[in-house]
Amino acid sequence: MTELFDIDAEIKDANLSYLMLTQHIIRKDKEKAMYRLGLSEDSVVLIDCLSSAQIRKIANIPTLLCQFRFNEDHIWKLLSNHSLASREINDEANCLHAAILLSGKIDQMIN
Amino acid sequence: MIEAKQRSVLKDKSDVELAIRLIKHGARMNMLEQETSISYERMIKLYKEVAGKSPAKGQLPFSTEWFLVWQPQIHSSLFLNIYDGFVKSCDINEIDALIKAYEMYLEHTSRCNIKVVVLTITRAWLLIKFMENRMLERMKCNHCKGQFIADAYENKKGYVCCLCNPPARAGKTTQPEAHEC
Repeated sequence: MTELFDIDAEIKDANLSYLMLTQHIIRKDKEKAMYRLGLSEDSVVLIDCLSSAQIRKIANIPTLLCQFRFNEDHIWKLLSNHSLASREINDEANCLHAAILLSGKIDQMIN
Repeated sequence: MIEAKQRSVLKDKSDVELAIRLIKHGARMNMLEQETSISYERMIKLYKEVAGKSPAKGQLPFSTEWFLVWQPQIHSSLFLNIYDGFVKSCDINEIDALIKAYEMYLEHTSRCNIKVVVLTITRAWLLIKFMENRMLERMKCNHCKGQFIADAYENKKGYVCCLCNPPARAGKTTQPEAHEC
């Protein structure tokens, strides 16, 4: 029982931090926020307007508000530096490769 | 009349602000002149004030070849993916999208521990022009499904990107080349 309770509390904590970070990112630069968060313009405008009380209320749900941006094990392997190609290339290239694949997914996520 | 004058002052202000942002990112004179309506003399003055040095002289490297060399191709493809994301997903003008995408590109490369800036802002700007004029194409890799810059005459069928199928000597240089543009 205690274990369940802990997970629940941690999710709420993570939700709260995530929403606060999201708002901070949006207020710094709206367009870059859409790119960084993978959110639509409407959602960005909405989150920007949330009050602290609203944020606390939203964070209180027992499911995580953030979700992983990709399911492809190819991207996971690139990010964790597993060698994929038969010919090995360096870490920097793998990192750029992952960045290219993630950037290409942005408009699918938003629209 | 008064209205027209007021508008031109505002336009001038936004032009100067835009030029400052571009100069800070190292934009060349040709790009600054085309993107703003500031006179050549004033632009040189502004450039010296912002950058603390005279602008580089000479023509821009008007060639699509550079974007197809291994390392530049990867960097340019990353920039283009980010730029496309901005243009497709938010209401933003071209030059703003270019600057923001360029800043995100710089963020990505620094996170990837890359010390040398391979793609300059002027090259990024040229790339957009080349794409608009269909001198280069976006090509989807059949392995990783990522989008890459390719020659306009590249065969789309069975295309595999330069990261899934790197050339033999790829990434073996000890010192990455600095590209002046």
